[in-house]
Amino acid sequence: MKFSLAVYSAPHSSQAAASALRFARALLREGHQLYRVFFYCDGVHNGSSLSAPPQDETDLLAGWQALQQQHQLDLVVCIAAAQRRGVLSDSEASRLEKPAANLAAGFELAGLGQLADAVAQSDRLVTFGG
Amino acid sequence: MTKRILALCRQAPYGNALAREGLEAVLAAAAMDQVADLLFCGDGVFQLLPEQSPAGIGQKSLQRNLQALPLFGVEQAYVCTKSLAQRGLDLEALSQGQLPLVPVDDSAALIATYDSVLSF
Repeated sequence: MKFSLAVYSAPHSSQAAASALRFARALLREGHQLYRVFFYCDGVHNGSSLSAPPQDETDLLAGWQALQQQHQLDLVVCIAAAQRRGVLSDSEASRLEKPAANLAAGFELAGLGQLADAVAQSDRLVTFGG
Repeated sequence: MTKRILALCRQAPYGNALAREGLEAVLAAAAMDQVADLLFCGDGVFQLLPEQSPAGIGQKSLQRNLQALPLFGVEQAYVCTKSLAQRGLDLEALSQGQLPLVPVDDSAALIATYDSVLSF
């Protein structure tokens, strides 16, 4: 079955972001397809390369990046929600004249159309957080 | 076959960004010819109250987003009557703008008729 996930919660604030990662791993392990993960609202913070949790806590960013490399996942961060919350790619940071960029490797910024497309293309959309 | 999509609007209008960003997602999908139906439930029914003036707390009004829905092909919105009753509201108390509101007693039955559900 073809899945897409929508993630609305920041990492380390609620269990939702961690549950999304575990659900993604589980469905891929079961042989399902993951069409896209769309990070929206506070979920855009999952795409920040600057998170640095203590060593005895789960590093969600490393988890997403490992899964992305292994399965060539489409990890999309909503560009409008990300601009509001300070998650910027190199090109957005220079366009908006901000001092730094922090979009993590393996993630990309794109518009809300990618959420609509994920709904259209997937058998199931599963939402985490909000 | 085009999928039937329902967007749940569950959040009060200014306490959580999901209220605004949910409506923005609905409008973006509609601009791509994927028109979702809307169901206002839980605290989401507060989004429909008239005469909101959120400028006092430094917020933009959601009413403009709601009024834009018909321009994008959203012809009506469902409202959960249980959620209204729990909050001491009725349909007459809500803003009757260009978006006709349809009361729904059994939200679960309505949700079950859709192919995909966006939850905001």
